[in-house]
Amino acid sequence: MGSYLLKRLGQSVLTVFLTISTVFVLIRLAPGDPAAAYAGPLATTEDLARIRAAFGLDRSVVEQYLLFLKGILTGDLGTSYSFRSPALDVVLERLPFTITLALAAILITTVVAVPLGVWMARRADTTRELGANVVTIAGQSMPDFWSGIMLLTVFAVLVPVLPASGFATWGGLVLPAVTVAILQIALISRLVRSEMAKNLTAPYLTVARSRGVSERALVWRYAMTNSSIPVVTALGTRFASMLNGVVVVEVVFAWPGVGSLVVRALETRDYPLIQATVLVTAALAVTVQLLVDLAYPLLDPRVRLGKKVSA
Amino acid sequence: MTAALLDVEDLQVELITAGGVIRAVDGVSFSIAEGETVTVIGESGSGKSTTAMAVLGLLPDDLAVLSGSVRFGGTDVVADPRALHEVRGRTVSLIPQDPMTALSPVHTIGRQLGEAVRLRKPELTKRAAEARAVELLDLVHVPRAAEQLGRYPHQLSGGMLQRVLIAIALAGEPRLLVADEPTSALDVTVQAGILALLLELQESTGIGILMITHDLGVARLVSDRIHVMRDGRFVESGEVEAVVDHPTHEYTRKLLAAVPVLGPWDEDVAGGER
Repeated sequence: MGSYLLKRLGQSVLTVFLTISTVFVLIRLAPGDPAAAYAGPLATTEDLARIRAAFGLDRSVVEQYLLFLKGILTGDLGTSYSFRSPALDVVLERLPFTITLALAAILITTVVAVPLGVWMARRADTTRELGANVVTIAGQSMPDFWSGIMLLTVFAVLVPVLPASGFATWGGLVLPAVTVAILQIALISRLVRSEMAKNLTAPYLTVARSRGVSERALVWRYAMTNSSIPVVTALGTRFASMLNGVVVVEVVFAWPGVGSLVVRALETRDYPLIQATVLVTAALAVTVQLLVDLAYPLLDPRVRLGKKVSA
Repeated sequence: MTAALLDVEDLQVELITAGGVIRAVDGVSFSIAEGETVTVIGESGSGKSTTAMAVLGLLPDDLAVLSGSVRFGGTDVVADPRALHEVRGRTVSLIPQDPMTALSPVHTIGRQLGEAVRLRKPELTKRAAEARAVELLDLVHVPRAAEQLGRYPHQLSGGMLQRVLIAIALAGEPRLLVADEPTSALDVTVQAGILALLLELQESTGIGILMITHDLGVARLVSDRIHVMRDGRFVESGEVEAVVDHPTHEYTRKLLAAVPVLGPWDEDVAGGER
């Protein structure tokens, strides 16, 4: 267990390192000049040179990279060009908004998708399930910018019951969280359905039914517990990916999270801010993933961490 | 003969499959009295397991159509399927075919056995139910019973699991056990132990047993009466000695002839080759 944990921690650090290194190189390969973006269209060549020197962009890429790595170790990720304050602070200020949105979205997803998937599994291959299937496939096919705008139109404009943007009140959380959750509900409910359908016909369930266990206990205590590993894995993975910023939805709803931050950082070629965002969100994502993996033995006693599993 | 625990009259089961409707069980009748073992024997696909599942009401509602009657005492569960809730676990319990897949892999033995105990006696505290669980495991000769409660199914052997499943079946204090090929997934040496246990339990409690098997050796060892099943019907029924020693139906004779006989390896010696 101890060596497994060390190995997984090492893997996580390596994943984050490779991610930020790739991003470091890619943003410098992409067209566009941070100095020009910062100075605006009226800047002279001298202005640009001065700004480049101030940002440290006159040094070689290798030199910049080494300075960046050194900065990570000392907790200094540079100063954001556009915010003119430490990049890490800017990201950490926005992060709680994204975490709140992701938590709300994953909560809605779980509360809706799990019972929906169970309902579909219990009516597997009936006309009613077909109806639910059409709905979930529609949910899966709708782009989030479109469903977001539709929700906005209906609940903020036509029937103005919820705020259209920002996070001034808790009501502002509803529309963005629901928009993010729609796609996730479609995906997760179909996963729950297939896992449950498998477990609802498993021999152990028939035997439990034969000794008088109630249908409710059969579904929730037996089949659901046995379906939990793939479902928890999927929820964890979806949650981790939401932490990287739910970019489109944050932009549609002017949500002050890291998703809209990264869009602004990219527009202004704010290298330190892009790097800080990627570092923080990547670290969070691998942490969530690690926690999900560590939870496996709690969900299924046959899983021993660090050992190959024979199903 | 005492009053029947189970009385099956003209039971028919039609299964709805992709290829059409199949009559898997075609008008079988039998009864089981207290302390009696009745065996339904037949090859794969003969309808013997479908008969057992129909008796327990475990065939899926939308895929199986039942007619006839299945009476436990005075309750006909074909006419009133809701009565199955009263019957299952309390009057009749199932001993499944493959013990390795018959328990939830993510719950402990103690949890599943304890649940079965409390289904019958909801008034028991957790501790009392645990004590009863240990008692039941002792009854089926599971060594170090208390220790096994904390273990998971994958940590036990097939033979031990079948004993645990018998203990779980007994937790509801049923009067009848339906044993659906209870030994076919087990090693031969373990099989004998499980059959001996069932006979011992029958001796001490007077429980009735409906045994489903394809194994004539098993049938001969445990049965009072045998029904030979083929294509959904009983082709021959009777006392075990009568059926085995003086089979009247051609199919029974073939079934008996199919039992391998131990003989010398040398094929030249008469009787060595069959």
